[in-house]
Amino acid sequence: MSQSMVYYVTTILVYLGVDILACWSFNLQYGVAGILNFAFIMFQAVGAYTAAVLTLGPSSGNGGFQHYILGWTLPFPIPILVAGVVAAALAYVVGLIALRRLRADYQAMVMLVISVIATLVVTNELGLFNGPAGLALIPEPLSSLVSSGGYPWLYVGVTAAICVIVYLFVHRVTSSPLGRTLRATRDNQDAAQALGKDVVKLRLFIFVFSNAIAGISGALLVEFIGAWSPGSWLYVETFVILTAVIVGGTGNNAGVIMGALLVPIAFNEATRFIPPFGRPGLVDAMQWVVIGILAPIFLWFWPRGIIPERRRRFKVPAILLVGSDQSPTRPEMTTAEAKGEVD
Amino acid sequence: MTAVVPVYSLGFGLVTASILALAAVGFTLQFGVTNILNLAFGDLMTASALVGYGVNVIGGTLAESLLAGAVFGAIASALLNRYVYTPFVRHGTKLFGMVIVTLSTGIVIQNFILGWFGANFFSYKVAQTKTYHVVGMYFTSIQFMIMGLAIAVMIVVQLLLTQTRLGKAMRATAANPALAQISGIATDRVIDVAWLMSGALCGLAGVVLVLNTTSFQSTTGNDFLVVIIAAAMLGGVGRPLGALVGAVILGIATEVSAAYMSPSYKEVIAFVVLVIVLLVRPGGLFGNADAVRSSNA
Repeated sequence: MSQSMVYYVTTILVYLGVDILACWSFNLQYGVAGILNFAFIMFQAVGAYTAAVLTLGPSSGNGGFQHYILGWTLPFPIPILVAGVVAAALAYVVGLIALRRLRADYQAMVMLVISVIATLVVTNELGLFNGPAGLALIPEPLSSLVSSGGYPWLYVGVTAAICVIVYLFVHRVTSSPLGRTLRATRDNQDAAQALGKDVVKLRLFIFVFSNAIAGISGALLVEFIGAWSPGSWLYVETFVILTAVIVGGTGNNAGVIMGALLVPIAFNEATRFIPPFGRPGLVDAMQWVVIGILAPIFLWFWPRGIIPERRRRFKVPAILLVGSDQSPTRPEMTTAEAKGEVD
Repeated sequence: MTAVVPVYSLGFGLVTASILALAAVGFTLQFGVTNILNLAFGDLMTASALVGYGVNVIGGTLAESLLAGAVFGAIASALLNRYVYTPFVRHGTKLFGMVIVTLSTGIVIQNFILGWFGANFFSYKVAQTKTYHVVGMYFTSIQFMIMGLAIAVMIVVQLLLTQTRLGKAMRATAANPALAQISGIATDRVIDVAWLMSGALCGLAGVVLVLNTTSFQSTTGNDFLVVIIAAAMLGGVGRPLGALVGAVILGIATEVSAAYMSPSYKEVIAFVVLVIVLLVRPGGLFGNADAVRSSNA
């Protein structure tokens, strides 16, 4: 492969990994727990900024052309891990404000407002993360280990490894009793509460957990592309991830991989080959128009996405059937069907 | 007085509050009656401002621009509801789904404007106006017009809601749509009227917003949307009078705080006020906390 081809392929693979992590995180909140987190991109951003300022040297370096806090020059895995922790801490604080028992659309509004506050603060507080210009020249981690030609592949490997590790955690959550309880709170909050589940606490937990993943995804991205600014995390970026989750299959970890592949990756890459026509920026604007139409189309025709959430069936334990005239397997419904939302 | 609060900033605050009041009352009125969180509101403001701009370019007066903006906003909102939002509601799309549909609509409108007109700034052609000096505050004649318009519209809306049968029907529909319907209120018609009114206010707010900021682009309305939402939530969503109070508080708080610290922080102040109020009173200043509690509606 030519050098530029390697660069192209590896960049797409890293972006795919980052988007998959983001989609899993968003799906845990939206698809599993029923939290519409319009501030999602803020958690990805805080992870990215944290990793950036921990990887960069002191603010006075490089002729002091950018100003930021910390600048600790920490070695590879630490900035990414700390990014997850910082995103989790922020999620805890935001969750305390936004995740109380408010109507779902109210929660979404509060998140939207918080996301905008964050952009304003980071843009105006110049000493924090270099204001609107953002951070640049973030050193490549692990670049001393391999030749410069092999580096992109090394990073693809790192991204893949992190995806696998995160998947193990995500799968563990969604397939456990915890995941089942969260789906119950999503489908019928009052019933879940009546059964003694602490809805607010459970949601706060999943909010913190999944936004840690969002932070890690942002960190992975920034360590690869080496730059990060407020322009890359306007709140509409959350909408791309949201669309990916809806298209792929809300509530399904495999489905949202499909969504990540189709919406941010295939869609953005496919339009890259459209020759520019009209005035500059027209293609970009039309791309947003199409993304804006995509989510409602799926909500109308395929509200459960390309790979829908699996119907969960539970076998009735044999002991309960002894002496009862019940058939061995009860007709099971997904909770969505039980609510009459499906066909 | 001058030692405590710079009076000139109070003047800016009153102008901002007037614009915000028009928008927030329109936003909250429709949300209260229909329960649809219309996140396309800001982008409709931009579109209305553009229509007003078109009238301005072909030589219309300011009043004609305002009228064109209001009419466009009203019709576009009503059509949007009838041909986009209502079909989704009937199709079974729930709360989250509707938020996503309105957000999508906003993104489509905004980028349609961007694609069609490019990333340009537009400015209304307005004759050079005099600046008036009133008890330490400075206003241009356009700002006087904006404040007068806002006060007049607020009075009309308040009278309409409290003194007419239509207003009564709207309040009934907002409080309990099913009960309103079986009591003989044509709720569909009421909802249409709510969208028309909300859209007219949206259009007016769009035009006065860009008259005050003097130039605008495809994102101007949407940038303002979050402050509108903040004002509406501060007053208690669905409460027009609350939205008015929220708008006045936020408008003055932002501009006065700008006199003490970097003006770029004035919106942060607005949101901090909102977050504090929500922590203390989740329903907003005038809202009912139970109305915003979660249920599986």
